[in-house]
Amino acid sequence: MSDVRPVTVLISALGGEGGGLMTDWILAAAREHNLVCQATSVPGVAQRTGATTYYIEVFNQKLEPGKPEPVMALYPQAGDIDMMVASELAEASRACQNGFVTPDRTTLITSTHRFYLLDEKMGMADSRLDVERLENAARKMAKHVVAADFARAARDAGTVINAVLLGAIAGAGLLPMPVESFERAIKGEGKGAEASLRGFYYGLSVARGEVVELQPRVRAFAPKAEAPIVSDTLETLRDRIVRDFPPMTHEIVMEGTARTFDYQDIDYARLYLDRLGPVLAAERAAKGDFVTTRETARYLALWMAYEDVIRVAQIKTRLERVERARGGAGGKPEQTVIITEFLKPGLDEFCSLLPSFAARPLLAWADRTGRRDSFNVGLHLRTSTIFGFIMLRAMAGMKFWRRRGHRFSVEQALMTRWLAAVEAATTREPSLGREVAECGRLIKGYSDTHRRAQRNFIRLMDTVVDPALATSNGADYYMNVAAALATARKAALADPEGDALNTTLAKLNYPVAANG
Amino acid sequence: MERSFKTEVESLKLGAGDIFAGEGILAVTKGLLQSGVSYVGGYQGSPISHLIDVLVDAKPLMDKLGVHLETSTSEAAAGAMLAASINYPIRGAVTWKSPVGTNVASDGLSNISSSGVIGGAVIILGEDYGEGASVIQERSHAFAMKSSMWLLDPRPNLASIVNLVEKAFELSEASNSLVMMQLRIRTCHVYGRFEAKDNLTGKISRNSKLDKPDFSMMRLPQPGFTVAQEKLKLETRLPAAIKFIKDNKLNEQFPGDSNEVGIILQGGLYNTVLRVMQRIGLADTFGNSRIPIYCMNVTYPMVPDEITQFCAGKRAVLMMEEGHPDYIEQMLNTVLRRADINARIFGKDVLPMGGEYTADVVMKGLIGFLDKVRPAGMDGLIDMAQKQVEQIAGFKATANELVGTAIPGRNPTFCTGCPERPMFASIKLAERELGKTHVSGDIGCHSFGMYAPFNIGNTCVGYGLGLASSTGIAANFSKRTISIMGDGGFWHNGLTTGVASATYNNADGVLVVIKNGYTSATGWQFLPSSMQRREGLVHQDQTIEKALRGVGIKWMKTVDNYKVGNVAKVLKEALTTAEKGLKVIIAQGECMLAKQRRVRAEDAKNIAAGRRVAKPKFNIDDQVCTGDHSCIRLSGCPSLTIKENPDTLRRDPVATVIESCVGCGLCGEISHAAILCPSFYKTELVHNPGIIERMLDGLRRRVIARLATPPAAITPLISTGGAIAQAAE
Repeated sequence: MSDVRPVTVLISALGGEGGGLMTDWILAAAREHNLVCQATSVPGVAQRTGATTYYIEVFNQKLEPGKPEPVMALYPQAGDIDMMVASELAEASRACQNGFVTPDRTTLITSTHRFYLLDEKMGMADSRLDVERLENAARKMAKHVVAADFARAARDAGTVINAVLLGAIAGAGLLPMPVESFERAIKGEGKGAEASLRGFYYGLSVARGEVVELQPRVRAFAPKAEAPIVSDTLETLRDRIVRDFPPMTHEIVMEGTARTFDYQDIDYARLYLDRLGPVLAAERAAKGDFVTTRETARYLALWMAYEDVIRVAQIKTRLERVERARGGAGGKPEQTVIITEFLKPGLDEFCSLLPSFAARPLLAWADRTGRRDSFNVGLHLRTSTIFGFIMLRAMAGMKFWRRRGHRFSVEQALMTRWLAAVEAATTREPSLGREVAECGRLIKGYSDTHRRAQRNFIRLMDTVVDPALATSNGADYYMNVAAALATARKAALADPEGDALNTTLAKLNYPVAANG
Repeated sequence: MERSFKTEVESLKLGAGDIFAGEGILAVTKGLLQSGVSYVGGYQGSPISHLIDVLVDAKPLMDKLGVHLETSTSEAAAGAMLAASINYPIRGAVTWKSPVGTNVASDGLSNISSSGVIGGAVIILGEDYGEGASVIQERSHAFAMKSSMWLLDPRPNLASIVNLVEKAFELSEASNSLVMMQLRIRTCHVYGRFEAKDNLTGKISRNSKLDKPDFSMMRLPQPGFTVAQEKLKLETRLPAAIKFIKDNKLNEQFPGDSNEVGIILQGGLYNTVLRVMQRIGLADTFGNSRIPIYCMNVTYPMVPDEITQFCAGKRAVLMMEEGHPDYIEQMLNTVLRRADINARIFGKDVLPMGGEYTADVVMKGLIGFLDKVRPAGMDGLIDMAQKQVEQIAGFKATANELVGTAIPGRNPTFCTGCPERPMFASIKLAERELGKTHVSGDIGCHSFGMYAPFNIGNTCVGYGLGLASSTGIAANFSKRTISIMGDGGFWHNGLTTGVASATYNNADGVLVVIKNGYTSATGWQFLPSSMQRREGLVHQDQTIEKALRGVGIKWMKTVDNYKVGNVAKVLKEALTTAEKGLKVIIAQGECMLAKQRRVRAEDAKNIAAGRRVAKPKFNIDDQVCTGDHSCIRLSGCPSLTIKENPDTLRRDPVATVIESCVGCGLCGEISHAAILCPSFYKTELVHNPGIIERMLDGLRRRVIARLATPPAAITPLISTGGAIAQAAE
């Protein structure tokens, strides 16, 4: 029997990426040479931002009247794909798992960017898939890999990712059509063809090996906009960090010092370092690896610079931020841009600035009558106007008052309690100290979210940490507590309703409050 | 429809000898015109929506051919349309998605089947089965058997399909029966080619009308006549159908060199099976097979003579039949037992009972069959095929190990800017205060609210049945229940099965009618409530409101979906008011995909013409966002996602709005209504501002630049920090 095999191409694209059009382009290129080809797809409701696949077969054989035509398949088959095209990295990995990328024959063309799955986005902390594993799977399972951030290339070229991927497909050289045929297919689109071609040439150059594959990611550091103003006193703090703290903590402690200074003043920054002192000493005594100190430094800085209305106003009125907001609108620099902030201050925000003696009864009354969130005023503040901007700038100027406010004392008390626990735990068993330090990660969010975070934090301290620290047991006991605390902390971040935390605490034989 | 099908319409005009190149479902449409249909109807749904959509755009051609096109309001309406062919020799076709559409249509179909037809009447079924299916997995085959309709399942190449469309009308006329053609989703979407023929004009048509009505009691399923019709079905129509199928060789036999074994398959599976056979060395690319194949392009009725002939003398036969129950396999066994032919039948014992027969499934089944039967001279081939399967399983295992986790699926969800998403955010907010209640969901885009992050909707039992499905539970639930219905479902049957029934029975629930102006899930077809005022003026059309008032609804409020705070308030009011009776909330907002299609073009035109256009987009302040992602849990918008936190201190990713944002405003509304966080801000890029606006903007910029906190110079603290870190290494 004669055996002519088709080149099989499977494309996995997400809704709105133009996978259908890309398929049309490939068919048009094949038809230009009168080649036997076929394509099919499963859009259906999957087009609503789900993943969609397109399957194409191209024979290196011309259609001729009277000559028998091949029977073409409508399903891709595991282990039978010559070219797998994935418009996103997790989709490439999924294709590997489904057997559509095999080291004996598949060329994998994939974009290295991530378009996060809802499961990854919804997490209360960081639920993202491990990118290194995804990339590794792509590299190991394919015979040949053509990979780059095609999504960024598409943005840069002002086009859609399908054009860039088409370039990579053409450049991979597996399909029996010359690059020019693909080019002509794109040009046939007319509108937007120029931008599409720019993207196409980028994809082509990647496939031809002119761009390095799977570039290592460099973590983007924040623009140093929050950098403090030069000050002699700050210099002495720097010297103190260098002198007192181990090098592996420097980056975070310096950043933390700068943050607390920027947030309040030099005294506050000094207080930050003072607070870290005991934890550092405890870890040094326990001969720890200073991870606890570094992580405490991280979460303490964030906690001390908690986001109250003053802080939000401060961030939103920086020149750098104003410029970024204008730039983000997407126009030319001179174009007019209107900026609207969505603020909704309420009782919490008001009370955070009142002295405790006034705030405490007010909040207690609100909680008793269920009115904690009843007085919020929704503001659509136009900060592109002078009046709107001045309003916000004035709020930022309230910094001097912060120390007198109720929230300040509440937060300071809670973080002091946490620091004492970190120190005490580190002395008993370094791994427990580390876990208590990590609890600092729980504290975040605004209004309701923040109250929930705080509640969870206090609960872990009350039920797990403090009772353990009140005992004097051997290292094994504290290691077990550390493990339990890690589990409970993860559970606290599993769902906003606190169901997972309740179940987990119950499983670990800790008391569960009736109201959760 | 906001989409245009200009090129597709052109391909419907092709004549004899032209080469048609395009999508499967379009080829079927062309096949209908080549068969001389005089009427076409249907209800949209994946994967056959385009059949109707394209014909809507093909009005001049339809006028010329005298074809009447009916965009039916439900499958029941479409199915009943075939009644035209009972009395008159007039050809017609209808289409819908199966099995849900066939369920809806089956009352009419049963009766038409009883009366019988004299004009060819064909139903095109889009099978939404298997991977990516949006409906329950049932077989159309059952309907064919119970109502004596013939079922075609053509080999999935355009030439075979179109040929069978034409034959379907002849078969229908030769046997006075309805004929269904089932097309799998991949077949509907396949891009192929075939040689076209001229379109035919029906002898009776809009251009050549009937003038005398036909009457005969034998055409009416009335007492005294149905039994006689039943007799006709079995004694006349069925034999006539079998004879036609045989005479016209609608089923195909492909020879093979093995005389021990054979394969019987549904036509739709032919290409898949052949490719698998080619892969393991049992066939070549051109369909030359080592094992004989009997390809059933007609899966009901079976042609016993052909079956016995094919199986006679064979040791074993494999039945490849997708779906369950295994109707064909059962029939096959009956036929062979009656003829005392002892070929052993394999089928569901080596293949899975249910589910889609993908290439991988077919490969395993085929190898399983061969392994059990071991035909002479195929041992080496079977061993190699088994090794191939093992190797692939090994690759999958390695990949799983490398990735380390099963990657969660990408479930369908509301599009960016969808007006239905805010409705579900509002329900979630109302639930926070009033607690959860039972929500009866419905079919439509709004059924995506059942997925995360909303998970709203406790049942979903059929199109337009949201309210009807709540009646049993509402009476037995301590809280007032909520039902959801789209405007599509409302017109499909929700007005009668739900609303009319609820007023009649003094129901006391809350109904949310989501009005976006289209049946969006099936491709933006217009509705009775959007026909008068196209161009997306959803809020100006009052047809639904009038219909509701007409059936006696007193408590009715219309809300703008995007105003989440207000919608939540109205919901709470509806759920708690002392007023009795059904409370209807009309939640309106035009389908964003349809709107963008129109607005983008309008904006571009206005910008070019120098008119002022403000383009909105939402953004998030990285430094204000604390990475809790509660905004995402209240929205799930594809344009609201996460990114690496640019802050050295923070570990959790921050929320971010990507470029696909259309500025619908939901982010701002949610952060207000749920009191989330102050990270969100909106920018509006103003094109062609007036002179005053431009000058004012310039002034504002200068003043704000002076007021704003300037960025500090790179400080010694940070810069030497790096140097120290280096020195320490």
